[in-house]
Amino acid sequence: MASVLQKLITPLFTGTPEPPRNKVTVVGVGQVGMACAVSILLRELADELALVDVVEDKLKGEMMDLQHGSLFLKTPKIVADKDYSVTANSRIVVVTAGVRQQEGESRLNLVQRNVNIFKHIIPQIVRYSPDCIIIVVSNPVDVLTYVTWKLSGLPKHRVIGSGTNLDSARFRFLMADKLGIHSSSFNGWILGEHGDTSVPVWSGTNVAGVNLQTLNPNIGTDFDEENWKETHKMVVDSAYEVIKLKGYTNWAIGLSVADLTESLMRNMNRIHPVSTMVQGMYGISDEVYLSLPCVLNSGGVASVVNMTLTDEEVAQLQASANTLWDIQRDLRDI
Amino acid sequence: MSTQEKLISHVMKEEAVGCRNKVTVVGVGMVGMASAISILLKDLCDELALVDVMEDKLKGEAMDLQHGALFLKTHKIVADKDYSVTANSKVVVVTAGARQQEGESRLNLVQRNVNIFKFIIPNIVKYSPNCILLVVSNPVDILTYVAWKLSGFPRHRVIGSGTNLDSARFRHLMGEKFHLHPSSCHGWIIGEHGDSSVAVWSGVNIAGVSLQNLNPNMGADGDSENWKDVHKKVVDGAYEVIKLKGYTSWAIGMSVADLVESIMKNLHKVHPVSTLVQGMHGVKDEVFLSIPCVLGNSGLTDVIHMTLKPEEETQLVKSAETLWGVQKELTL
Repeated sequence: MASVLQKLITPLFTGTPEPPRNKVTVVGVGQVGMACAVSILLRELADELALVDVVEDKLKGEMMDLQHGSLFLKTPKIVADKDYSVTANSRIVVVTAGVRQQEGESRLNLVQRNVNIFKHIIPQIVRYSPDCIIIVVSNPVDVLTYVTWKLSGLPKHRVIGSGTNLDSARFRFLMADKLGIHSSSFNGWILGEHGDTSVPVWSGTNVAGVNLQTLNPNIGTDFDEENWKETHKMVVDSAYEVIKLKGYTNWAIGLSVADLTESLMRNMNRIHPVSTMVQGMYGISDEVYLSLPCVLNSGGVASVVNMTLTDEEVAQLQASANTLWDIQRDLRDI
Repeated sequence: MSTQEKLISHVMKEEAVGCRNKVTVVGVGMVGMASAISILLKDLCDELALVDVMEDKLKGEAMDLQHGALFLKTHKIVADKDYSVTANSKVVVVTAGARQQEGESRLNLVQRNVNIFKFIIPNIVKYSPNCILLVVSNPVDILTYVAWKLSGFPRHRVIGSGTNLDSARFRHLMGEKFHLHPSSCHGWIIGEHGDSSVAVWSGVNIAGVSLQNLNPNMGADGDSENWKDVHKKVVDGAYEVIKLKGYTSWAIGMSVADLVESIMKNLHKVHPVSTLVQGMHGVKDEVFLSIPCVLGNSGLTDVIHMTLKPEEETQLVKSAETLWGVQKELTL
């Protein structure tokens, strides 16, 4: 007796189904991973989403919860497994796995713990999606993007750290809020380390092309009567503050990862401050990853914008590079 | 002159108009925040207010969302435990209250959540007397009744998220069975959002083709395709996710945003949501159950009369009696 399916639907094409063209994998289904997943889903960026983690029940529960919302989404296939075969043919892999900062803990403390986790994750990602672009989110992101690059063997333009995309977003929000305008109308870049020593490029801050440093030459210095430097400090402290209040941060980083995914997936050639291999730039001789303005498209980091930085800003970048290299050279087994 | 004064000159003499499309979410737990992020990512409001009693968590969540402002089209995100922050909301989503523990049924939560609502609802009404209340907290049908009584609002402005999610889960499972997108699979689950929801088999269709016509045993015990199990999976769906990850959030959050969208954009779209069903389908008591309703910017303006089988109507009446049994014991 024919089933309802057979009575209702006559197949015209019975070959193997087409592979996904816009598949995204998120590794790690903690708060950050799931915020990235939901932002990517609600922005309709992927035709397939894969989730991977080691905690099997949580992983299955998160997958089911997303699948139950599939009526409201345009991503028809959501899969999850602890086995990486489920990630095959991904265009973009977002790595959020690893341990997170405890209250008051700096990002650099997490390093060796997360390196050990990455030694398991990265080779598996590359095995199943050798042509993918990897976005590293786990902290300390600049060091772990370097680690990912080393462990993956991928060319450097296909390994990106979420870097200061979020710091810059926070900076633009806080500055714009002070001026009463939308964040997207305030242009400002934070570069360098995603962390305590990030570099606000005051000389580039502008609204409608009007340079703020020209209006206030002391901006960002200790002599500034308006104390704009405080805004950068608030950016550096924001993550710690949110962690203190709610235990972790997730929404802002999730939205910022979706923003990067959009540029990569849609081949947009938009410029984002993300962590890339900066050896040879700004007098940096070590193999380190730091955030600079990068043009992102479907190939990954297409190019880097040469920002005009003051001597002091260059010195800050070099200092970050030195700090990061000090940590990296002590890492074992990469 | 400050940098701001040098850069920007204010030229408007009147008071700023302020928000016209404000949404408030009460409760910043997993469901509240999933609702908030879904609403924000769908660009549904120009101001979002969050309220809760846990001040640190509340402030942290608001800051985390504000830090994403660059990527959003909602300019103002505010939060406070004081309800004045919710003033002039068009829609208020209530997710506050205790949630089901593993294995606990929704009806067990009742009196705990009624007491919480006695504080929340009057505060919402005080600051947004013209808003539309969307109740999500469980047991949603009873709490929508409670919100209606406590608010004094006309019934078209008090809506329970009801079986919007159950129907979404059902359509997802249907989609898996037929390898189709859920939006092309039509099926309505009505009645109680919970263990005694009613799957209206006669309405299940794809491209207008009634599946029950193709399989007359659909949903019955003799059904070789065991469609009854699909409905059971819907009922068990929430319990299973809770067992695996501790709670459910994403699906309910997206379903709330779906309802808020119909309201804010005045879509006149039909959704299965919880409304006063007294006088319909043989229900005599003052209870709220889910039936297909038309949602727009005035709220829930019309209901659809489904042609139900006698067994289906009996089930609705039975749910109504169960709910009334609980409601009449409540101290409001």
